[in-house]
Amino acid sequence: MRKVSRRDFLKGTAAGAGIAAMGLLAGCSTGTDAGAAGGGASAASGLTGAADELYTLNCPNNGIDYWHPVYAGFKELGKLLGVKTSYTGSVEYEISKQVESFNQDLAKKPKGICLHPITAEAFQGPIADAVAAGVCVSTFAADAPDSARIGYVTSDNTKEGTQAAITIGDAIGGKGGIMTTCNPGQTNHDIRVDVFRAQIKERYPDVEMLDNTPTNQDADAAYQAVMTCAQKNPQLAAVFCPEATSAQGAATAAKELGTGIKVMCCDTNDAVLDMLKTGDFLAAIAPDQYMQGWMSMWLLFCAAHPELMNPMSAKKATGKNPTYIPYLDNGLDVVTAETADYYYMANYIKNAGYSSIEDMLSDGNP
Amino acid sequence: MEKTEKKNSLAKLKGMHELSLIIIILVFGVILSIASPLFMTWTNIRTVLSGMSTDGLMTIGMAVVLISGGLDLSVGSVMCLSMVLGAQVLLAGGNPFMACLVILVFVAAFGWLQGMMITKLNLTHFIVTLCTMGMARGLVLGLTGGRSLSLLARLEDYPWFKIVGQGLVFDFLPMQLIIFLIVAVAMDFLTRKSSPMRLVFYTGSNEKAARYSGIRVDRVKIAACMFCSICAGLAGIIYMVKFSGCPVTAGTGAEMTAISSCVIGGCSMNGGKGTIFGAVLGLTLMSMVTNAMNLLSVPSTWQQFITYSILLVAVVFDVISQMRSKKKAA
Repeated sequence: MRKVSRRDFLKGTAAGAGIAAMGLLAGCSTGTDAGAAGGGASAASGLTGAADELYTLNCPNNGIDYWHPVYAGFKELGKLLGVKTSYTGSVEYEISKQVESFNQDLAKKPKGICLHPITAEAFQGPIADAVAAGVCVSTFAADAPDSARIGYVTSDNTKEGTQAAITIGDAIGGKGGIMTTCNPGQTNHDIRVDVFRAQIKERYPDVEMLDNTPTNQDADAAYQAVMTCAQKNPQLAAVFCPEATSAQGAATAAKELGTGIKVMCCDTNDAVLDMLKTGDFLAAIAPDQYMQGWMSMWLLFCAAHPELMNPMSAKKATGKNPTYIPYLDNGLDVVTAETADYYYMANYIKNAGYSSIEDMLSDGNP
Repeated sequence: MEKTEKKNSLAKLKGMHELSLIIIILVFGVILSIASPLFMTWTNIRTVLSGMSTDGLMTIGMAVVLISGGLDLSVGSVMCLSMVLGAQVLLAGGNPFMACLVILVFVAAFGWLQGMMITKLNLTHFIVTLCTMGMARGLVLGLTGGRSLSLLARLEDYPWFKIVGQGLVFDFLPMQLIIFLIVAVAMDFLTRKSSPMRLVFYTGSNEKAARYSGIRVDRVKIAACMFCSICAGLAGIIYMVKFSGCPVTAGTGAEMTAISSCVIGGCSMNGGKGTIFGAVLGLTLMSMVTNAMNLLSVPSTWQQFITYSILLVAVVFDVISQMRSKKKAA
């Protein structure tokens, strides 16, 4: 039997969904253009966009690997829908630079922009300008809730913190002490840690919550924090880190101490995956970034093509875009030694048929 | 005769800039020992010292550049880039010797290039190293695709190389600490006694005068830049082995730690002044403060404020005691 790659599977699924959707829509009257974002798509038909339709994915610190699978999903669905895609954003994690890059995206007159805003407030104006110019905007992984964006796709940090609490709590048998590392000010990390600590307290009353040390994604700082905490608290049984770099330092310390301290984190990197396989790491939580991008593309395409829909609501009549999805959870995975191989970027690039990371991040053309 | 010698030694000790810093560290150490009985345990001291090794090497390099009248904002990024290069050599099948050689040749060339731009094109250290900092970090992202590299499996093939970052000498002394101490002691000695380091001081205190007195100022400045980059490369080797991989964010903000340590330790931002011992003491104080935060379980959101408040108090105390001793001497 031929092995079906993830890419083939997604292609098939999208094509199937497309055919089904077209069948459903076939009997529907054509939607009005009222509220249609991005103007008319002259050559668009059914679930195929016009060849010149462009959708961009804009994120800060765009060299960081977290975003890359997001764009992979975004680009792949874009191809299936017959539209162009582009990976943009700012190199720095700096709000003015990102707003600048967003405005540069707008200058390209895209149909839609998928945005990870550093801060919600700073993007209210630019998103309003984009919408006024007929460009749909959706957000992913971080939101601008009071803006005119048409949707928000994210992994749920609350669920990640909860899942981590359950995994660690069960692994230590509901006894002992747990410390956490944190990066104060980084909202998604703060939520993961706060939820984790609250859930442990609620679900495992015999577990003692120990230090919450700021390591700011520094492996060395995490190493020292764990060493110090273990010295202060011989009952230290587990460490939770909201990101992988600190976890790398924490796991190094745990291994050196040799007292069986279990380390778990959110997100992955190759070192964490290797440690998972060697048994030096308990588990990692991976948000499904690929689906984050895939679903974002879908939302933007739907919003840019309101003519495809005939909703049972007053939206069309009142000139509103029928596509408005305030929150869409793209899910999460608990990565263990058995599943670690699926999360290596190099493996993914190869299996998805790309020649390199640059190839994967290149512009998508129908 | 013996009394005069004793008096001279005492006067020398009193004249040491580092004395006030040593007093601050001792007082802080006593306070910490009272606040937390764990502070004076060997495990804790070892943790603090081994944590200082990579920052310490970069601080030594930074001290030399500061003394020469320069500044290097790129140390953290160069450290990370050197790790990535070394890791890629290892992952491509090279051995640790090749990896270290590539790292050291690369960082030396990197420092040389910075020095050439500073001296031959008359650019400031600030702008050159600011650009090279960004370039190095960009290269890290370009070479890794933004993904941290893992050496866990590869290092298993070279257990002797693991000793550099993970080994314990006599089962209690971290190897990385020994490497750092050797470099620190050697450089402190050279700073105080060697004639080449005198040239660095002359260049830093008055570049024009140094040039007129026949010192090849450009060579001195280039050598200082190269030395600083080599220190960052050494730190990279240790970091890479210690954590069995290269996080792409490694070394972020390391330049600020190095500069702060040097300045707290008495290095002048205007050049021509400072010692390696002082810079290491500055770093020791910074590490102790961080350790105190962990030991005393200070709430994470307040740690930064408290850390820098303590450091400011230490610097103010240091300056006041310097002013007093100068007044007395006058």
